[in-house]
Amino acid sequence: MTEMTKSTIGRRQVLKGAGVVAAGTAALATPVKQAEAAKKVPRWAMVMDLRRCIGCSACTVACKAENNVSLGRFRTVIQHKMIGTFPNVTKVNLPLMCNHCTSNKEDASAKVPPCVKICPEYPGERQTYVTPEGKKIRYRGGATYRRPDGLILVDVEKCIGCGKCIDGCPYGVRSFDPFTKAGKKPEKQAVDKCDFCKHRIDNGVEPACVNTCQGRARIFGDLNDPESEVAKLVKEHNLEKSVLLPEEKTNPHVFYIDPDNLLKTAYRQREKGKLDHYVDTLDG
Amino acid sequence: MKSLNRRNFMSLSAASGAVLAAGAVDSRPALAGSVTFAKGGRDFSPVTGRERKAIPTACWQCVTRDSLIGFVEDGRLVKLEGHPESIRTNGVICAKGQAGVNQVYFPDRILHPLRRVGKRGEHKWKRISWDEALDEIAARLKPLRDAGTPEKFMFQYGRMKASQSKVMSDFMAAYGTKTIGNHTSICEGGKWTSQELMWGGHYDNWDFDKTDFVLIFGSNMLNTHTNHIPVAQKLIEAHVGRKVPVYVFDVRLTNTAAHADEWIPINVGKDGLVALSMVNVIMNEGLYKKDLFKFMKVSADRKASMDEKIAAVKEQVAKFTPEFAEKESMVPAGKIRDLARRFAKSKSGVVVSYRGTIAHQHGADQERAMMLLAAVTGNVNSPGGRCQGVGAGWKSPKSKHPKARALDINHGFPGQVAYPTHKVSNQVLKMIKDGRNGRPEVYMWACYNPVYVNGEVNENREIMMDESIMPFLVCSTIVYDESSSLADIIVPDVTYLERWDWEDMVSPTQVAEYYFRQPLIKPLGESRDFGDMCVGLAKRLGIELAWKDKEDFVRQSCEMTPGVKEAGGFEYMKKHGVWHDKNANPDYLAFETRIPASALEADGVIFDEASGVYWNWHESKAKTEAEAKTVGYQNTPKSYKGFVGQEVDGEVYRGFKPDAVNKSGFLEFYSELMKAKGMPVFPTYTPIPEHVEMAPDELHLTTYKVAVHTHSRTSHCKWLSEIYHDNPGWMNPKTAAERGLKDGDVIRVHNKLGGITTNVHVTEGIIPGVIAISYHVGREHSGRYGSGSPSPIPGVADDPDFNNKWWDKHGVHPNAIIASSPDEISGQQRWMDTVVRVEKA
Repeated sequence: MTEMTKSTIGRRQVLKGAGVVAAGTAALATPVKQAEAAKKVPRWAMVMDLRRCIGCSACTVACKAENNVSLGRFRTVIQHKMIGTFPNVTKVNLPLMCNHCTSNKEDASAKVPPCVKICPEYPGERQTYVTPEGKKIRYRGGATYRRPDGLILVDVEKCIGCGKCIDGCPYGVRSFDPFTKAGKKPEKQAVDKCDFCKHRIDNGVEPACVNTCQGRARIFGDLNDPESEVAKLVKEHNLEKSVLLPEEKTNPHVFYIDPDNLLKTAYRQREKGKLDHYVDTLDG
Repeated sequence: MKSLNRRNFMSLSAASGAVLAAGAVDSRPALAGSVTFAKGGRDFSPVTGRERKAIPTACWQCVTRDSLIGFVEDGRLVKLEGHPESIRTNGVICAKGQAGVNQVYFPDRILHPLRRVGKRGEHKWKRISWDEALDEIAARLKPLRDAGTPEKFMFQYGRMKASQSKVMSDFMAAYGTKTIGNHTSICEGGKWTSQELMWGGHYDNWDFDKTDFVLIFGSNMLNTHTNHIPVAQKLIEAHVGRKVPVYVFDVRLTNTAAHADEWIPINVGKDGLVALSMVNVIMNEGLYKKDLFKFMKVSADRKASMDEKIAAVKEQVAKFTPEFAEKESMVPAGKIRDLARRFAKSKSGVVVSYRGTIAHQHGADQERAMMLLAAVTGNVNSPGGRCQGVGAGWKSPKSKHPKARALDINHGFPGQVAYPTHKVSNQVLKMIKDGRNGRPEVYMWACYNPVYVNGEVNENREIMMDESIMPFLVCSTIVYDESSSLADIIVPDVTYLERWDWEDMVSPTQVAEYYFRQPLIKPLGESRDFGDMCVGLAKRLGIELAWKDKEDFVRQSCEMTPGVKEAGGFEYMKKHGVWHDKNANPDYLAFETRIPASALEADGVIFDEASGVYWNWHESKAKTEAEAKTVGYQNTPKSYKGFVGQEVDGEVYRGFKPDAVNKSGFLEFYSELMKAKGMPVFPTYTPIPEHVEMAPDELHLTTYKVAVHTHSRTSHCKWLSEIYHDNPGWMNPKTAAERGLKDGDVIRVHNKLGGITTNVHVTEGIIPGVIAISYHVGREHSGRYGSGSPSPIPGVADDPDFNNKWWDKHGVHPNAIIASSPDEISGQQRWMDTVVRVEKA
């Protein structure tokens, strides 16, 4: 994969290329600090603010359009859960998608999540990732693999459509894509899931779900940059453990701001082979 | 390119705001893997990585009409996003807006003119050419006009706003008919009429950016609202970002109620009473703010002193004690007292009310109670308060027209409605059936589905099926639905993503935004904008219009509208999509503006002692000054059109300027107009007759909207119906247990109008004694994604994704058992007054 190879232009050029820097940059890090932070490889992450998610499903539909997601599956979805007894009732809306995990519970040293570890096509050919500053990092590709910036990605050309990663993911966020053939076994469907809108973030634009979120419940950014909003939120709200299924020790990179401690109650794990994990709008 | 300086943007985006001005897209990567992201304005193909073409336009899924950027790839529309430079939306849109792509490409879309060849309702169609269709329609219209009865051509619309509406009404005026119906009474017309009786104009905006306290009655505004995206995001920011207290009164735990500090369950139809009891607390405890009393009319004496006014309000609300309100509403008296005190003591506060409050008999009076609560706490048209909405003031070309004629069938039956200022659309079919005020020979409709969207669906269908009372039906639409299926001629409209418009919806910042809609792609098939169809008809009828086509209408408007014109007119709007006056101040407290003496001395301006109004009688229907003076301001037809100013304590102010009825310039709570029609003179509590008479085993039926659908125009959008396609009735466990029902049971919901069968959804999130059923679904015809089967018309397309459709439930439609019944004050359809019985089926 060479998606980053075109990205070797320096930061100064990059900003020029963007055309505009917003007024009021005093609120941001100084350019020097930004440059220092950017020397590191980014580590993309998302913070979901449950206080702000109003369960409107705009993210779900934005993702459908952006990624041409077929009916019968979603890359991201909102789970709704009513909690309490009348009249003391509340409801939590839980945005759910690939957690872009880092680890594997059986073998933390593998530095890949269970979906990657289980992929028969992983580890595959060596690939090169180029940081914004031009630093090259080698990594292993596969039908599903981990890019050095933390994205867990699917390479449909290498996919054999075996579905092991679907079963291997404890969150049930992977599915077969009826629109795409598995590259190595065209009689089968390739696997698909959230890729943090790689095609947008590699071009400097936020993921589609973040773009449309009216509550600003989804915050995307670089966890390795201490000045980023995601890094600040993770620190401020102590979110390192505020993830789905922490007991799986998958080290997810989707964090939840959950002051009322509702995450565990609201989350409903997928029943294997069932779609209703994704579809629950009666209380919406 | 412009730099952005938007509070929300800075504080909420990932790190900073590097956004490209629309239309000026740089081909290089904006930022590659760095910490700084553009929020939007650009998009790329996930398959090829190529940048998609970005075109500014505007949404039309609902009346909010957010500004958009459309992204096009190889001539196909693939994605829609919010316009990042819109001051209304801050670049976000809702799920419905995101699914706009489905409106263009749903496989059952009507793309060619069709002529009915079987009986009405037999679903037999023949494809015809546009020339044939227009010739046939014109052949019906011409004799009516030639005979001097143009009013027998009736047009009715659901969603037509801004230039859509202007183009339509200009054509209809040029033809000579004013028999034009709308849909407003099934929406929120009662709220508007109520506001027109009090503060003059209609439409309220809530200043969430500045407010300190929020009370919401009967509105799920975080998920669905007529100005949803602009206001909802600001409410969330106020509540989460600034910790502003929010309390929601509703029969249902909506997503809005779930996000409030507290959901306060309330019995159906009691919102106004609770507001009046809060006013009672505020007045009795001396917590009112005097600021606004000067401009309020609260008794017969317009010259009442401050003390007299305070005493009058106290007296009017004396009987609405918190204890009385508790008994009726189930809201604890202690809660009412606590919220009343905290609301009154806040620096500013907002009172929100919507259909849960107004869609009742005397719902318009409940809205007056809401306004009273806002007024006595000084929260009307002030920063952080409930403000009159500010929208764009476009100018547009006008064609020459004869004096238009109208059939009087749009305002309800004689004596039925006191002030139908937004018409009584829910009675139109009944009036046509009745026939006493005449019947249209040609009934044409667009962006409307009269059978489905009104109450008494079965009767609506019967009326439209009857060729003896509705002889010729023409529909301009994109979808084969419950009504277009009964037309004689169907002409294929374009979708909103294939047409030109200027737009004007209210801005949440109190600064008007002028915005624009342009085609993202060439219209599919033979689809043609309704405005362009009018041009085709005009040519055949020998009518000269002041515009060549819809695009020309929009172009001319841009060149004649102050501000937009100087910015660069049509070409500027094509490139940028949005414009607002950067130097404009937010519109607050305009009622305090003094009227200069010169304005009072102008020709025709006279003073009306009874109301204290200066008005220009030339603008009214009065024939002479003497007549105007004798008949007086209140009783001279259309006198409000000449309103100049209001005398208050010896000075003349702009006041609360009327724009629909002959009210004074006061914020009127004591209303001579209400009194004249035998309606409550001061906001009060009037129990709903059907509810008073309820038997112990009967339940209230309430309806509601969900976030992912409009009322009737999105069920064919596959991404939305995939999320929401079934609508079981919500019921409290106690109510379910009383009927031996458990979650999922099949139930029959019925009353004298008939019955519907659905499942019961037993939930803690609703009050006892109620069944709540959403609308949107339960479609007889809506194409394969909405109703389950392809539309029975020639040439519907294939869609490979249909193989992946997995749902086989399509819901039920509650309107079959809801009476088409107007509020006697406003004509508002009484959606929330229905009484039913529910049993296990």
